[in-house]
Order: sequence, then structure tokens, then C-alpha cells
Amino acid sequence: MPPAESSRHLMPLVERAVTAHRQGATETAERLCLDVLELAPDRPGALTVLYQIRKDQGNHTAAEALIRRVVSLDPNNFAATNEFALLLLGKGAIQEAEVQARNAVRIAPQNPQAHNLMGMILTEAQRPPVGEFHYRKVIELSGNRDPILLANLAWNLKNQGRMEEGRTLYQESVAAAPDIRQTLLGWARLEEADRKFEAAGEILDKMEAKWPNDPGLLLSRAVLLGRMKRYDDALAVLDDMAKQASNGRLGPNELAEKGRLLDQMGRYDDAFAAFEEGKKLSRELSGNAYLDGAAENLLNRLGGFFTAGRLQTLPRASVRTDVPQPIFVLGFPRSGTTLMEQTLSAHPRIVAGDELPLINDLTGLMPRMLNSPLGYPEALAELWMGDQRAGLDNLRDYYLQKVAQMGILTPEAAWFTDKMPLNETHLGLIALLFPDAPLIHVIRHPLDIMVSAISNHFTHGFFCASALETAAKHYVRVMDLVQKYRAEMALRYLPVRYEDMVTDQEATVRSVLDFVGEPFDPKCLQFHENQRYARTASYAQVTERLYDRSRFRYRHYRKHLEPVIPILQSHIERLGYTVE
Amino acid sequence: MDEATPPPDAAAVETSQLARPESRSLQRAADVMVPVPFSELFMIAVRQERAGSLDEANRLLSYMLSVAPTQPDALHMSGIVAFRQGRQEEAVAKIERAIANGVDIALYLRNICEVYRTLNRLDDAVAAAKRAVSLAPSDPLCLHNLAVIHYERVEIDESIDCAERALLMSPDLPGAHFARAEALLIKGDWAQGWEEYEWRFRIADAAKLMPTTDKPQWDGKPFDDGVLLLVADQGFGDVIQFSRYIPWVLERCPDVAIACSPEMVPVLRHFLPENRIFFRWESCPPYKAFAALSGLPRLHGTRVDTMLAPIPYLRADPARVATWTERLRRLAPRSHRKVGIVWAGRPTHNNDRRRSSKLADFAPLAALPGVALVSLQKGPSADQAGGYFGRAPLINIGAEVRDYNDTMALLECLDLVVTVDTSVGHLAAAMGKPVWILLATSPDWRWLLQREDSPWYPTVRLFRQTVPRQWSDVFQRVAAALKEGEDSAPHKKPL
Repeated sequence: MPPAESSRHLMPLVERAVTAHRQGATETAERLCLDVLELAPDRPGALTVLYQIRKDQGNHTAAEALIRRVVSLDPNNFAATNEFALLLLGKGAIQEAEVQARNAVRIAPQNPQAHNLMGMILTEAQRPPVGEFHYRKVIELSGNRDPILLANLAWNLKNQGRMEEGRTLYQESVAAAPDIRQTLLGWARLEEADRKFEAAGEILDKMEAKWPNDPGLLLSRAVLLGRMKRYDDALAVLDDMAKQASNGRLGPNELAEKGRLLDQMGRYDDAFAAFEEGKKLSRELSGNAYLDGAAENLLNRLGGFFTAGRLQTLPRASVRTDVPQPIFVLGFPRSGTTLMEQTLSAHPRIVAGDELPLINDLTGLMPRMLNSPLGYPEALAELWMGDQRAGLDNLRDYYLQKVAQMGILTPEAAWFTDKMPLNETHLGLIALLFPDAPLIHVIRHPLDIMVSAISNHFTHGFFCASALETAAKHYVRVMDLVQKYRAEMALRYLPVRYEDMVTDQEATVRSVLDFVGEPFDPKCLQFHENQRYARTASYAQVTERLYDRSRFRYRHYRKHLEPVIPILQSHIERLGYTVE
Repeated sequence: MDEATPPPDAAAVETSQLARPESRSLQRAADVMVPVPFSELFMIAVRQERAGSLDEANRLLSYMLSVAPTQPDALHMSGIVAFRQGRQEEAVAKIERAIANGVDIALYLRNICEVYRTLNRLDDAVAAAKRAVSLAPSDPLCLHNLAVIHYERVEIDESIDCAERALLMSPDLPGAHFARAEALLIKGDWAQGWEEYEWRFRIADAAKLMPTTDKPQWDGKPFDDGVLLLVADQGFGDVIQFSRYIPWVLERCPDVAIACSPEMVPVLRHFLPENRIFFRWESCPPYKAFAALSGLPRLHGTRVDTMLAPIPYLRADPARVATWTERLRRLAPRSHRKVGIVWAGRPTHNNDRRRSSKLADFAPLAALPGVALVSLQKGPSADQAGGYFGRAPLINIGAEVRDYNDTMALLECLDLVVTVDTSVGHLAAAMGKPVWILLATSPDWRWLLQREDSPWYPTVRLFRQTVPRQWSDVFQRVAAALKEGEDSAPHKKPL
């Protein structure tokens, strides 16, 4: 974009700033940029150089603001868009990153890096089949097989459960570039996820020879040893890590892993202390805390919108019979939804969709798709307009089309699962879009869910799991909302207790399949033999036979959970549980 | 439209004969503590209570009790106010203290027995009522209260005896007549029972049947030179039950109009064209005579063994049946038996405490494999569907039901209905659908005593409480019967 005439005279200053920055004269470059921006705040060159400086200084907030401004001033600036997308990906703002990555492809459809961005972001956004398309486009456009790209594609395939293909690509990547740390780590994770512990160990051994103190290596080693039930060894690895750290402390992920190991070893007080420390550190480092006001606002609006009276006046999407239909596996994160999905997807007519982000996407897209000035859920009021009567069909088709693109459907599938945690927040919308879809709500002792929430890092639910109390608060809010939906709507809803899945597996599986309308299949009882790789944090558990160690695990943490018992008490009773 | 609600079977909590405001302890406390004499304060509180200003009465009485905490009349009156405000436990505690501090005052005992009855403390209730009778043997209200308690304890002969003794003292005491009516009817003595039942409109505070009129009440004799206005009185279940008599009425009086609530049109249009159904008194045509729907069994001369039971006399609209069949097919597992359930009646019904259960009580049914529960529940209790986490799927179809046309169509789609004593039970029964009705130990008179069937409805099976207000064994029996396939009607194929 050419500079405005009025600030053309500043060009030499910008050029000097660029040169100074390139030569490492950061202070000079910074001063020049600030001088230019003082006079002409919209000079992209100065903004870009200053962005680089702030980024190098670790001032992420300022850097983000600067690059955002560059992109908004010049939406066709590919380099800035690429930079912005990477920055957003780095901070976990996947949705916004995707918007920028798509812009990058629009700006430069033949640019391999644009497709690489899409590949990375969509893999992270849990749409790996679409990511795979873009990675393969990179190979096609660039005409070569870059080792890092191959490793990225291998990671993508691992996330699709295509372990053998991923392994082959890792082998090719490592053969071409044997010393790329991230590639080796990814490969080791693939082997570990594929239960090839020995192979994983060998890769880590090779890494250790080159980077003996690499934190990623050590964490992977600890995870692997934990899966091999060598808890003492795993713990020793983490303790060594702490000693080597400059501040003598582990990071959030390492602390969570330490806590899980201590839990397995029966050292519950130590485990809880590690979990708590991990949460605290995570809050400090990420700045993520429960978005209390936003959660309250949305959930109140949902409860106020979906009333029996209003629902009687709203249309429903028609039911497509030409494509497999969704089964929604609902539940709070870590309540047993992965176990339910693995069980169901062992059935020959049901495939696993995993955590599909699509319902959430639709809540964002809805105002645009319904041409509404209002947000979700109020935008559904457009369905009363004569030209939006088919609006729900369009939203439904968006969802189904995305599912088809993900490549999860098989020719024999009649159903696919969507186990995005907390989709129950959107039960009203789901029932409008898919009035026939079975809604399987996995219920579990709320205190067990709290133990899982404290021992894992997840961002669902407005970052509620950043602290124990906020996890409890969000749990109560969501369950209250579910109760309201169920009181106001006729839903095809079945609550299933995790505990019943563990203690009365066959009867529970039979009742769930009966509810779905499929005949019982004994394979569903052998879900641990299901070769499908479950991507979520539960994968290590669901690849084992059913065990009831996780049932009423809260008893080990009774005193630690004391602060949240009053918050959860009425729900514990309502669900028919007690606190022992 | 004013609808005559069933007269209270409850004994009245009587405050009109308040005892001795001039009592010495009151006077002494008043002299010492307050500028306004206590007796005057007390009478103000009484007037506030009678006027329905319960908060104000409560405030005054609380003040008085802070000054004189053991004053019996203030305690008693404060207990009455607490009772009327729904604080039953507090009411009992206060009146018990009044009794402990007072000296053999029949009024306190007469009132506390009703509070005990509300709290299901029937042994305490009968003891208090008997003591009240012994203290005031010439007070017919004490005997009336005792009659009501005996009814609730299913001591029907004793109830009749008490009511008759009250009537000897006060022959025009409507409450005692009504207590006797209910006892006679539940016992099956319908000849005498129907006559006594006519007293229901004369009970104090009972809703008027209709605006004052100079036209006569129909005597059952045919006429064809004018309109007979029927009044669809009492609850919806009563209207459904007694609408069966409309054809019998039409044989005698061809020009019939009916005044009713709009909700009842889907039922009454089975018998009358919609232009003969009226929702507002001012719209009703001029009429020669009137009759309450609930009075038709008397005019017909119905006896237990001469029941007019042209079942089915209500039918669902086929188009709606098709719609609901499809809806239910989508929501409920096809392989499951679909059992419609209703756990609570209208909360303002004076018998609701006894007749209503909770959704949680259906747990034994919810544990049965192959059963889908289809909630037909309406009203505030329908919220309980949101908190259900039983094993059997629960389809909260009630949320989509708009009127009795929908309910009838849905009933056509179900294999069985299990309900407490509500209008849905009557509706299913009038359609000839299999329906299991769950009853309190002392049910409404129409269900008679002990029997498992009903002369009113051949497809009804009755499940009775064995312990007052305890539903657990009732639901256990229902679940066992369901499990064994003991459906009282030929079983439908699953949808």
C-alpha cells in the first residue's frame, strides 16, 4: 500500500528504522519508529518494525496490537497476515487465527505458506482432515517434501488415528533431517499413543544423546514411564527437571503430570499440591482465568430465550435422511464422554467424530447466516421472518457439510458422535437443528469431575478449570441450564451415569444402544480393542479395560475439595450421589 | 368465569371465637409494656388476620410475643397466621405452646387438629380433635373437624357418626353435611350421598356456582320449551367425568348450553356444537333452568351398580394422533413401552397435598428396562422433569402439549398411563385407554374404598397408598405390575 502523500516525507525515517533494526540497533530503530508514528500513526512500515521489536522484547500485548493494526490497515498484506495468524495460533486463539489463515489463502492462493498456516491451524482446531488437505497442497505447490512439513503432516495424521501413515512420514522426515527436536518429540508421542512404548523409548533415547536436558524430552519421558506404570522412574525424571530449571520449578504441564503420577502412587496430598501449583502457574503464565461475567451473561440469555412458549413458535430443521446423523455425547470435560464415544464407536454403524467444534462455530456464524443484527441466541428470532424459515436447515447443512469434510464418515456409518464437552450449554440450539438426534448426557459424581478438572488443563467453559472453585461454579451454571432446557423442551435425552458404565457395563451399553435405535453389538463391550485413537486427554484410560479406579476417586481428595462441596451440594443430591 | 371449586373437605381453622382478650396476663403485660393496651393490639391483629393482611397481623403478634412470650391467645393467633402463611411447623409449635400455657381451651385444640392433619400427624390430630370435643361437647365445629380427620384416617363410619352428631346440634352446618356426603359417597351409599353432596355450594368461602339467578335448578324432568344451562363446575377431571351425562340430559332437554372454561372445549365438543359452549356468563343464552355438571349423577340416580359408563366417550382427533405418533416415534426408543406419567395435580387444589407425588417417586418405574416414560405433566410441577436422572428415558412431551386435544392424541400413542388423581387420568379413562391411577389412603370419594377397579371407568386400575402420604410402596407395586406385564387392558404393540 503506498504511503499517504501527507506522510511521504517520513519514508526516509522508516527506511532508516528498517535498516537499524536489521543491523541490531534496536534502540535506534525503536526511537525512529516512535517518531514516525507520532507524526503518522498509520505508517505500516514503522508499525511492522515496532511489532518486531516488541515481539522480541516479549511484550506480547503490544506486539499483538501492532500487528493487528498493520493487518487492519492493509488486509492484503500477506506477510503481516501470516505473522498475525502465527501469533494468534501461538497464544491459542485458534478461532481468530483461522480467520487470518483463511485471509492468507485468499490473498495468496498459490503461496505454500498460506496453506501451511491453514494446515497448522486446522490441525489444532480439531479439523485435521481439512488441515491434511492444506498440508498436501503445500507439498504440491512447493514441489518438495520439506522435512518439517512432513512432520507436521505426520502429526496431523496421528490426530486422525492414522498411525501407520504418520509413522512413515516421520521416518521420511527424520531421514531427511535427523536432528529436529520437535519432529522427534512428535514421533515419540505418536508411538506412545499407539501403545508402542518401546519404539517411543528408543526415539527418546536418541534425543537424550543430543539434548539430554531438553524439557520436552523429559516430559515425554515422564509420560511414557507413567504409561508403563514405572511411576517412581517417571517422578525421578520430573524431579530432575525441576532441579535443572533456572527457578527450580516445573511448568504447568509438568506439574499436572507429576500430580497424576503421585495420584497413581496413592500420594494424594502431594498430588493435589502439584495440581494446585500447576493451576496457579498456568494462570500466571497464560493470564487465563474464568470469564465469569461472560459465562453468566450467555447462560442467562440462553435460559431466558429457550422457553416452552417461544419454542412452540419456532420451526425445527427437517431431518436429513441421506447422510449419517449425529449422536451428541454431552458432559462436563472429563466426565466420561471419551469412554462413551469409544464404546459407541466400536459399533459397526457408529463412527467417532470426536470433539467437533461445529456447534460452537455455528453460534458465532448464526447472526451472519440468519442475517440478524442480534447475537446468539437472540438471532434465532429471525426464524420468524418469512425469508428465514429455512434458516435452521442452512445451519444444519453447514454442520453436516463440515462433518463430511472432516472425513470421519464411513460408507457403513448411520451415525457419528460429537462429543464436544459442554455442548449441553447449547442443547436448545442442538434440538432445533437436529430434533431427532440422540442426546447422551454422561453424568458423573460432581466431585470426581472436580478432581479431573484440577488434574488436567482444559480451556472449555470460559476457562473455568483455571481454578477449582470456578470449575464448580461453571458446573452448577451449566447443570442448571440443562435442567431448564429439559423442563422447557421435549428432548431425545438420556442421562447415563459414568459409574454405571463402569459397574454395569453391558446393561448400560444395551440401554444406550436401544435408545439410539441400534441393535446391541458385543464389540461395544470391548471398546479398549477399538483401534481408534481418542485424541483427548482420556486416551490413556480408554485404551485400557474398564476399571473403576476413577469411580469415586474424590474420596482421596475429600479434604481438598471442601471449598467446593457447598457449591455443588445441591447438585450432588439432585443427581442421587452422596458425599462420603 | 367463576368456577365452583370443590368445597373444602378440610375442617375450618376457626378464628371467630377467639378466647378472652381480656385475660389477666394480657392485661398485665399491656399495662406494663406498651401504651396501647394489649387487648386492643390483639383485636387489631385479629382483624388484620380476618382481612387477610397476614404480614401485618404477624408483625403485631410478633411484637406482642416479644413482650409476653407465653401469652396463650397471642401464641395461638400467631400460630394461625403462620399456618395461613404456609409455615406449618411454626404453627404447630406456637399453638402447642398456647395449649401448654392455656387452660383447656377447645378452640386451640380444634384448630391445632387441622394443622396436625395438614402435617400428616393424624394420630395427634385425632387426639386433639377428640379432646376438643370433650371440652366443648356442644360445639358442632369440633365434631365437624373430627369427622374430617376420621375421613382422612379412612374411619368412615366414625366420620359419618361425628358429622351426624354435629348436624343434630346444628342442622344447617354446611361443612358437616359435606363431610357426611363425602363419607357416604366413598362408602358407596350414593342414594343418601348425592343428596348431602348438594350442600357443597353452601359452604362458606366455596366459589359460587354461577352469578345469582332467579331461574330454578333443574330437577331432572324433561322440558323442550327453553334452554337448560349446564355449568361445568369443579375441576377439569370432574368435567371430564361428568360430561358422560350430557347425552342423557339431551334426551330430556334438547336445547342445552354449557358454561365452562375454554380449556374444556376439546372435551365438551364431543357432546355439543361449539356454538353452544360459552366461556363468559354474559354470552350465555337466556335459560329456563340450570344444573351443575357435578349434580347430574344425583339427577340421573346413579348407583354403584347402575353406572352410566359409555366408554369410550372421548376420542382423539386422528390428524393430531398422526402428528404425535410421529413426534413420539422420533423422541422415544421404538422398542420401549411408552408409559405416560403425571405426578402432580393443580397445586391450588385443596387436596393436592395428599394426591400429588413427585417425579422422583417414579424411580422404581424408571429402573425398568424397556420402558420410556412420557411426561404429560403440566403446571409448575413440570419443572421436575429437568432434574430427572433415572435410567428409563423421560420424554418431557408435556412441554409441547398445548391443550386437551393434544393430550388426547398423545394418550392414543401410549401403551399405558400411570398418574396420580388428575384430569389426565379421567381423560385416558374416558377414552378407554389403560390407566393406572395412584391414590392417597383417603382418596376422593369417587374412587370408593379398597377396590382396584372403578365402576366409572372399566380400563382403570387403582393403586392405593397403605400408609398416609407414603408413595414408595405404591410405586413399587406399580413397577412390579408393569414388570410382570400386568396391564389391565389388552396390551398395545409398541409404536
